[in-house]
Amino acid sequence: MASKNSASQALPNGKPKTSLKKHFAANWQVYALLMPALIYFFIFNYIPMYGIQIAFKDFIANLGFWGSPWVGFEHFERFFNSYYFVRLLKNTLLLSLYMLILFPLPIIFALSLHELSYGKFKKWAQTLTYAPHFISVVVVVGMIVAFLDPITGLINHVIEFFGGTSKNFLTDPDWFRHIFVWSGQWQSLGWGTIIYLAALAGVNPELIEAAKVDGATRMQRILHINIPAIMPTIVILFILNMGSFMQIGFEKVLLLQNNLNSETSDVIATFVYQTGILEGQYSFSTAVGLFESVINIIVLVSANYLARRVSNNSLW
Amino acid sequence: MKYTKLLLVLVASLFLFTACSKDKEQPKADGPSDEELEILNEKDMPIVNEEVDLEFFAGQAPATNPDWNDVLIFNTYEDMTNMNIKWKMVPHDSIAEQRNLALGSGSLPDAFHSAQIGVSDLAKYGEQGVFVPLNDLIDKYAPNFKKILDENPVIKKAITMPDGNIYSFPLISDPEFASHRIQARPFINKKWLDELGMDMPKTTDEFYQYLTAVKEELGEVPFGGPYIDTLTEYLLGSFGLATKGGSNLYLDEDPETGDIRFYPTSDGYKELIEYVHKLYSEGLIEKNIFSIDHHQFITNLGDGKYGSVVWFAPEEVASKENGKDFVGMPTLEGPHGDKTLNKIGDPVMSPGAFVITSNNEYPAATVRWIDYFYGEEGMKLFFMGVEDETYTVADDGTLQFMDHITNSKDGLTFEEEAAKYLTFPGGGFPSMVKEGLFQGVASAPQSLEAADLLKPDMIPDDEIWPSLTYTKEENDKLQGFGKDIEKYVAEMTDKFISGAEPLSKWDTYVKEIENMGLDKYLEIKETALERQLK
Amino acid sequence: MSDKTFDILNKILVSLIVIIIVYPLIFVVSASISDPAAVSTGKMWLWPVDITLDGFKIVFQNDDIWMGYRNTIIYVVLGIVVHLALLLPCAYALSRPEVKWKTGILWFILFTMLFNGGMIPTYLVVKNLGMLDTIWAIVIPGALGAWSILVARTFFEQNVPNQLVEAAKIDGASDFYIFFKIALPLSIPIIAVMALFHGVGLWNQYFSALIYLSDRNLFPLQLILREILVLNEMSATEGVQDISGSVGSFADQVKIAAQIKYAVMIVSTLPLIIVYPFVQRFFVQGVLIGSVKE
Repeated sequence: MASKNSASQALPNGKPKTSLKKHFAANWQVYALLMPALIYFFIFNYIPMYGIQIAFKDFIANLGFWGSPWVGFEHFERFFNSYYFVRLLKNTLLLSLYMLILFPLPIIFALSLHELSYGKFKKWAQTLTYAPHFISVVVVVGMIVAFLDPITGLINHVIEFFGGTSKNFLTDPDWFRHIFVWSGQWQSLGWGTIIYLAALAGVNPELIEAAKVDGATRMQRILHINIPAIMPTIVILFILNMGSFMQIGFEKVLLLQNNLNSETSDVIATFVYQTGILEGQYSFSTAVGLFESVINIIVLVSANYLARRVSNNSLW
Repeated sequence: MKYTKLLLVLVASLFLFTACSKDKEQPKADGPSDEELEILNEKDMPIVNEEVDLEFFAGQAPATNPDWNDVLIFNTYEDMTNMNIKWKMVPHDSIAEQRNLALGSGSLPDAFHSAQIGVSDLAKYGEQGVFVPLNDLIDKYAPNFKKILDENPVIKKAITMPDGNIYSFPLISDPEFASHRIQARPFINKKWLDELGMDMPKTTDEFYQYLTAVKEELGEVPFGGPYIDTLTEYLLGSFGLATKGGSNLYLDEDPETGDIRFYPTSDGYKELIEYVHKLYSEGLIEKNIFSIDHHQFITNLGDGKYGSVVWFAPEEVASKENGKDFVGMPTLEGPHGDKTLNKIGDPVMSPGAFVITSNNEYPAATVRWIDYFYGEEGMKLFFMGVEDETYTVADDGTLQFMDHITNSKDGLTFEEEAAKYLTFPGGGFPSMVKEGLFQGVASAPQSLEAADLLKPDMIPDDEIWPSLTYTKEENDKLQGFGKDIEKYVAEMTDKFISGAEPLSKWDTYVKEIENMGLDKYLEIKETALERQLK
Repeated sequence: MSDKTFDILNKILVSLIVIIIVYPLIFVVSASISDPAAVSTGKMWLWPVDITLDGFKIVFQNDDIWMGYRNTIIYVVLGIVVHLALLLPCAYALSRPEVKWKTGILWFILFTMLFNGGMIPTYLVVKNLGMLDTIWAIVIPGALGAWSILVARTFFEQNVPNQLVEAAKIDGASDFYIFFKIALPLSIPIIAVMALFHGVGLWNQYFSALIYLSDRNLFPLQLILREILVLNEMSATEGVQDISGSVGSFADQVKIAAQIKYAVMIVSTLPLIIVYPFVQRFFVQGVLIGSVKE
């Protein structure tokens, strides 16, 4: 949040050179609090980053990262020229966008849960709805397959009961995105509320009391107190979400994929998994991963810009 | 100042790390060293006179023993050889990651055992000097394996890399053991066949009539499978496809011109697809075959819900009770009189089952160590264990597992009980699968009967092309557009069969493949083939 | 809309969502004690069919289960401590307006979310630090991520008012004192959430254990459970190639595999479901009454 303004306020005005020394002398404890995390990132995230260079190299195991020969943009060219490049990119973007549209659902549910008077029902509702988060991908997919089975599946029984004809959803490219996204939502809706509930717990009860005295309705209190109170959290989570825009869990896609629905289910993540991990083409998959990261940066910066303009909350 | 110091430490640590990751060049091993030769016995046990410690990377199949450091057969073998193996168990789940990690980071074990190393990796890391070339070592120290190679040139061709070297000991199927080489095979529901008063189908038309009758008269599912491929593979030979065996995907020899051919664009393939599409569109194939859950398929099969399958012995894999109804079906004669079982590949089931790395200080001893498992005695140890501990010899000379393994007192299955003493369950091991010694699904009576029916029409071994190996340049190209072409064919095949794409689009499909670079693709394949058949 | 109608509508909405979401839970529990054939053919869709406890029996027959439980609990507890120790001071410091070059520091942190060096270089760092085959290989790499820092920082900004800190400073309090005695007590909900998120992540994770550990005695629960699960999954899902190496009949195993899947899930998540209500306490409205206005 508007950190720059306040930072300059906190600084004593005047001679900039000595002020820096003074600043550290006065505030060294704050920086000391900051340091362990930064050192951590340096060791475990920055040192390994030399690995990225192999995106531009032809990685040869016994020559190592530094010794492998440079090949420039060869791997990128291969990716962009691939027959499936357009399809991969399109599917990845559409699937990500679809998931993004559902971003408000956990917020609404959290607000809703928060309004319940504290008691057994609220407690159970919370505990039960967060539990599906723990069901493993393999089992979730197993359940999806079982429910959507054209012969024995529950859904098709219902369709047939109402006079429709049974349908094989899993091999239909038109249905893949819906199945993928909504089953994900089904699993993560409850879990997704946790952070908002914690934010709502921080709302000053006196504000609510004051609003009650002023005769505000529940709806008005939500709109004017609760939502503004968690707005910073919403914005931060939204921006962070955008930062991993292109990253789709490949495991579930892989399990739901078949040759008949690959028209919509083929995404970059599964492609990277297959070429990089299974086939050991490290240079190539690093290049594809780098491409993803660059798109993510663009999306992230735009999201932050947008957030600053619209809500005046932002990451930086 | 504090911060300067800190910065210094950080920068220093950066150098430390990069330096460490740099200096991992391995000395390239050229044959056994003098120190090794000093302790090595060229014949008989122990292999070495002084105890030797080695570390092996072990691919841990789901069904095998989870810790080979303490398992009957390797404990026994350790005592015999004087070679102490420290096994690093790597579950199949993460085997690709961990193998690439070991190879990429330079923290190499002395050897990879059952690690599913493919031909392209063998060629790549062999050329780079990470894997030790074995040609001379095999000549000198691997009499059992050498004998197999001499007797079966096709095996030697299949594991010889483009640079002329052999880098691995493969999993071999004994060329004589047809039942193991066939893998998934056709079964038909004999009970229903009798009920319908029909004879065993001999042609694709008769098979179609049987399937129709199952649907029309019995109202059951005529054909089931976990995916469609086992059926199309089985039918390849009936439509004159895969004339050079199944080792090389989509590749065979054009019977008319004698040239190399990419058969998915041929008329025969179109006919095959049309045939299977007819079955699917008329409801003769399980409707959800493209998305069925594997367990559900097995359960259905065990419940006797299918009129036919192309799979493994139903009695063994699904249900003893209902599985009995199934009997093997012979190779079907196609519309043009073609009748061979062409999906059979060369006998090499897994090329890189055992590989020695440049890290290994005792390559000759290691070769002797592994060679034992390609001989009669070693296979006995590997597949059956130790006499009077796990098996007994009957009067007629056949080997039998002992009662405590076949009838577990903990209620475990045969396989779980066997895995307490042996490591071969799960497959992918460096040895040879031989009838009589190997007691698996392929040796079950139902499998053998079905295999006997198919045997007369199996493509002869001298007709089978070995799996091709590629140089680095060839491989780079194939991993690009080659992969795209193969993926496109697989996708379109399923779409044509299911009707998601109409067959009227066939010409567009052929054109598309040509545009994707079919000429270049075939050129690479042909070069590789010529090199290998030399 | 009156408060009453709002209340009723809200309750209906929540109930509906709960019903939809609870369904998989009932399914999993039912499936864990039903005949697997009934599950895979869709006969069992809500309540258990042909009840059997074989799945649980097989899971608990494994001697390593308890060892796995013990290891996982150690990893989770230790991991949460390390996580919070790194996270909270950093997030608090970033929430302070007087910190300089904040955009730069934020980017330094954000960058790690966007780029990573890949598996091999990370492995080499862990190896060079001598952490292979130790508890630390599980606890330290991945102990901190950009995501949690940024979320926690937003909380500190919200819940630790600047006036309060400034006032304390005028009273002569040091930054350390303010952080430990004022900021932390005011941020119990976010500490609880972060501990929960990280703890659950550690509880479920097995991949770094696969890569960094080879000593069985250090294996976490998830790895042991996977072993049981995968062992029984057999070649069933792996298709044609692997079946060749199998001995004898595994008809029964294929069946039991499906069932174990659900039993394993219950065995591995039950402890978390039991712990959750204790964490939940901290999300209750009004934790921070009192300390704010002094």
